[in-house]
Amino acid sequence: MSAARRARRLLAFAIILAAQFWIFEAALRTWGSSEAALSFQGLFEGDPQIGYRLKPHARTRFVTSEFAADIAINGMGLRDDEEIGPKPPGERRIVLLGDSLVLSVQVPFAQTFGELLEKRLNARGGARYRVINAGVQGYGPIEEQLFFRRIVASVQADIVIPVIFVGNDAEEAVGSKGKLTMTEGAAPSAESSSLRTQLRRLVRRSMVLQILRLRAVSATERFTTTVAPPEPPLQSYAADPAPRIAEGLSIARTSIEDIMRTASANGAHTAVVLMPARFQVDDPDYQRLKAAVAASGGELVRDAATERFDRALASLPVPRLDLLPALRRALPGPDLFYQETVHLTPRGHAVVAEALDAFLAREIERDRAPSLQR
Amino acid sequence: MVFNSLHFVWFFLVVYGAYRLLPHRGQNWLLLIASYYFYAAWDWRFLGLLIGSTLVDYTCALAIARATSPRRRRVLLLVSISFNLTLLGFFKYFNFFADNLHTIFGALGWQVDFVTAHVLLPVGISFYTFVTMSYVIDVYRRDTPPTRDLLEFAVFVAFFPHLVAGPILRASTLLAQIAAPRTIRRQQIQDGAWLIAWGYFQKVFVADNLAALANSVFDPAASPTGINILLGVYAFAFQIYGDFAGYSNIARGTSKWMGIELIDNFRFPYLVRTPQEFWRHWHISLSTWLRDYLYIPLGGNRGSEWQTRRNLFITMVLGGLWHGAAWTFVLWGIYQGLLLIAYRAAASTTSIGRILRSQAAGARVLTWAVMFHLTCYGWLIFRARSAEHIGALSGRLVTDFAVGSIDVHGLLVPLLLYTTPLIVVHACEAWFDDLLAVRRLPIGVRYSIYAATFYLTMLFGNFGGAEFIYFQF
Repeated sequence: MSAARRARRLLAFAIILAAQFWIFEAALRTWGSSEAALSFQGLFEGDPQIGYRLKPHARTRFVTSEFAADIAINGMGLRDDEEIGPKPPGERRIVLLGDSLVLSVQVPFAQTFGELLEKRLNARGGARYRVINAGVQGYGPIEEQLFFRRIVASVQADIVIPVIFVGNDAEEAVGSKGKLTMTEGAAPSAESSSLRTQLRRLVRRSMVLQILRLRAVSATERFTTTVAPPEPPLQSYAADPAPRIAEGLSIARTSIEDIMRTASANGAHTAVVLMPARFQVDDPDYQRLKAAVAASGGELVRDAATERFDRALASLPVPRLDLLPALRRALPGPDLFYQETVHLTPRGHAVVAEALDAFLAREIERDRAPSLQR
Repeated sequence: MVFNSLHFVWFFLVVYGAYRLLPHRGQNWLLLIASYYFYAAWDWRFLGLLIGSTLVDYTCALAIARATSPRRRRVLLLVSISFNLTLLGFFKYFNFFADNLHTIFGALGWQVDFVTAHVLLPVGISFYTFVTMSYVIDVYRRDTPPTRDLLEFAVFVAFFPHLVAGPILRASTLLAQIAAPRTIRRQQIQDGAWLIAWGYFQKVFVADNLAALANSVFDPAASPTGINILLGVYAFAFQIYGDFAGYSNIARGTSKWMGIELIDNFRFPYLVRTPQEFWRHWHISLSTWLRDYLYIPLGGNRGSEWQTRRNLFITMVLGGLWHGAAWTFVLWGIYQGLLLIAYRAAASTTSIGRILRSQAAGARVLTWAVMFHLTCYGWLIFRARSAEHIGALSGRLVTDFAVGSIDVHGLLVPLLLYTTPLIVVHACEAWFDDLLAVRRLPIGVRYSIYAATFYLTMLFGNFGGAEFIYFQF
C-alpha cells in the first residue's frame, strides 16, 4: 500500500472516529446519569481559592438507577429553592457545612435532613427557624472553612454546624492544606498557562473523555498495584493508620476552630456533628470491607475514625453530636444508605433530622444557660 | 490469568515481542514455557497433571504406532483413554458421584460411609484431556502419524490460546502447524487484530454486562414474572454466546498473530432453523469431537432408527455431563438429545419436514423463531440452580406471563442495548457466510464498525475481569 493511500485511510478513520465521538458525546449528554454527566457537572464552577463551588442559579435533574432528584442552586451558590436574603426579625438561622452528605443530591430538597430539621424546629412554635444547606460535593474541613469565611458567614447565622464525614475528612484535610496558603487570583493565572490544566479542562467538558480517562487511570492503577502493592484502603479506620491521618485530624481541628472563631465574631454558636460511613451501620458492608482490607494486609476497626475525630475535637469548647448511635438505633429497618452511592436515603435523612432536633433542643435549652460557644 | 485481564495483555505483549525475534525451534520453546506459565498462573500444582497427561499420551501414541499386534495397539489405546478418563473422572466427577450414591443409599435406608474429598477442578482439564485423547485415537486409527518430537507435542497440548477453553483442536489442525516453520502474513495480523477486538467486545460489552441481567432473574431468591424470566433467558443466551465466542475469537486472533490458524468454534448458532444445524454451529470443536469419537463409534446412524436415536441420546447426555458435574447439565444433555430425536422424527413427517426444508420467508422465520426459543429453553435448564429451580422458572413462564409486568428499564432496555450491536454484526457475518465478513466490507462501513466497537467497549464495557463461563467446564 502506498504512503498516500495509507494516509488517506488514516484520515478517513480519524474522521469516522471524530464523528462517532460526537454521537456518543451527544448520547451520553442526553441520557447519561452519572456524576460525570455534564448536567451534573454543570452544577459547579471554578473558584480561585477553594477550587470549585456550586454555581449560582444552576439547576438540574439528577437521575440514577437508585434515585431521581431535582437540584436547584440559589444566587449564593447554596442548595435551596429560595434566596437567603437579609434575616427577618425573629428568625434564627442554622447553617449546615459539609460535603456531599450534607448537599444530598440523592433526595429532593424537601427530604434533606436540613429541611426536615427546619420543619421539626418550626413545628415547636416560638422562634422561626431557617436551616441553610451549605454542603458542597467533595468538600473537606479546609474547603468548608474557606467557604464559610468567604461566602456563608454573611447569612447572619445563629448556629453553625460543620458536619464532619469521619470516613475521609482527615485525608481530605491533608490533601487540601495548600489551599490555606494560596492567595486569591494567583492560582488561576498560574494554572491557566499550563497545558496540563487546559487538557484537564477539555477532558472535564467531555463525558466520553472523562470515561476514557477513568479507564486509563484504572488500568494504570491495576498495573502499579501489581508492581507495588498500595497501602491498605480506609486508612482513617486502620488499626495502625498512616501518619497523615493524625496530621489530617489536627488540620481538621484547626479548621473547625477557625469556623468557630468566625462564627463567634458574627454572633453565632458552633456545634459539630460526626457523620459515620455506611459500613459503620451496615453489617454486610462492614464484613465485605473488613475482608477486603484484611486481604490487602490491613486491619479495619469499625468505629476508629469516629473515635479519632471525637478525641481530636474534644479539646474544642463546642458541643458534638455523633450520629452513629442514632443511625444504629434505627436498625433493623429499611436502608438508611443507598447501596451504590452510599449516601443517605430519605429514611436516613429522617433519622439524622430527628437526632439533630433532639441535640439542638438539648443545646438550645442549655444555650439559655448558655453553653454553645459564642 | 484471563484474556480480559491486564496481566494477560502484558504477558501476551512480552511473549509476542520475543516470538517475533526467535527462529522456529526457539518459538516452540517459548510457546511451551509461556503456556506453562499461563496455566500455572491459576494454580501451579495442576501443572503436573498437564505435563503428566502430555507424557502419557505422547508415549502411548508412539507405542501404538510401533506396535504390530492389533491386541497390543488396543491395550495401549485403552491405557491412554483410561488414564485420561480417570483424571477427568476423579477431578471433575468424584464428588458428584460420591454425593449422589450417598443420597441414593441413604434413601434406601443403607448407611454407607463414602470417602468424600473436596477435590478441586483443574482449569481446562476437560479441554486438554479431549485434545490428547483425540490425538491417541487418531494415531490408533492411523488417521494421523504420531510425532516423535516431544516439544512439538507438548506445545500442541498446552498452546495457551486454546488451553483452558478450547477450541478442542485435532493434531491434523494444530500439530502440523507447530511442526512446520511459520510465516506471519500481513492479512493474518489484520484479521487477528479484528478478531481480538471483537472478542473483547463480545466479552466485556456483551457478556459481562448481560451477566447482571441474567443473574437477577436466575437468583433463587428472586421471583420474576414469566415475561421477565423470558428476558433473563434471552440475556443468558447472549451472555454465554458472547462469553464463549468472545474467548474463541481472542484465541483465534492471538494465534493468527503467531501465524497459527485455529478452527471456527461458532458460526452464527442463533440463526439456525433446526437442532441438527445448531450443533453444527455451536461449540463446533466439541460437537465434532463427540460425533467422531463417541457417536460414530457407538454406531452413529448406521443401524436402525431406534439405534440411531439411542446413540444420539447417549452422545448428548454425555455431552451435557462434559459441561459439569451437576444434574442440570445432565438434564440439559437429555433435553438436547430429545430435541435431536424429535427433530429426526418431525423432519420425516411430510408436513413438518416440508416447512423445515422450505426456503419461503415465512417458513424460515417461523422455524428460526421456534428453534431460537427451543435453544433458549435449553439455556434455562443449563443456567438454573437445580431441577426444582427449573420447575419453578418453567411454571412461572407458563402461569405468570403477564406482559404488563415487563421490567422495561431493568431488563428490556439494557438487553436491547447490549445485544443489538452484536446481532447486527452477527447478521452481517451470516449474510456473507463469513466470520470475517466485517473485514471484507467497504472501507467506510468497516471503519465505522471498528470505531463503534472501540467506543462501545471502552465507554460501556464491564472491566471487572470476570472469568469466562467455560473455564469451569
